[in-house]
Amino acid sequence: MIDEKDLARRPIVQESVQHNARTVSNIRALTASLFGVAAGTLGLESFPGFIFYFLGTATVSMLIYALKAESKPESYFFQPLGDLWAGDLFGGLMSFVLTWTLFYGLCKA
Amino acid sequence: MAALATAVNILGMLFLAHAVYSAYEHSLLPSSSTPTAASYILPQALDPKVNLPLDITLETLFSVFLLCAGVVLSSPELKPIQWNVWAGRLERSKEAREIKEVGVGGGNPYAGLEERAGFLDIRAASRGFEEWRQQQDGGKIES
Repeated sequence: MIDEKDLARRPIVQESVQHNARTVSNIRALTASLFGVAAGTLGLESFPGFIFYFLGTATVSMLIYALKAESKPESYFFQPLGDLWAGDLFGGLMSFVLTWTLFYGLCKA
Repeated sequence: MAALATAVNILGMLFLAHAVYSAYEHSLLPSSSTPTAASYILPQALDPKVNLPLDITLETLFSVFLLCAGVVLSSPELKPIQWNVWAGRLERSKEAREIKEVGVGGGNPYAGLEERAGFLDIRAASRGFEEWRQQQDGGKIES
């Protein structure tokens, strides 16, 4: 719940919020195609491939949490649950599927 | 930090290239198309059915993890979103306090409100300047 009084007392810098969201989105886009390469090379099919993608994004979230956010996500993300842990979760799914099918075709067919 | 990230990225790329090439070579073997034994723990729909050797599987996963760490390390630093932390950093850093243009830089995000030329009391300023000039003139005569 967004408390307006709380926001007036401790204002938020919009520019930093956008910068952080863009950084997370860039990391997600880059790593999604990497997960596709791995999933295709391992020859995963249907559900295990998508589970692999979600496990991978969870790992990347952990890495951002540990390496970039210094274990204090609330000082870098307005809503840590939505912006860091689930931020842009489905944005990289299509590039994941693209490289997944490509490498599956290269290594299996 | 940047050198470490680059090193991790290059290492990850090498491992990934090697793993993918190994998997491709493995797929050319006649024995590679034999189906794997069904898992006892996982249900049929969730069984990954990986029929690669364990070392190639582990190398793929390891290289992807390395590349993820490299991508995260080489991405730009996050900025604090609380206004007090952000503005405190601005005022403390030397390059942010430099004034590059009118209204750009200066370190103080409220500078536009604190120094408003339209609200300047020009009469008081010119009176002060007059007093100062008289003092200067007086000083000259005395010396």
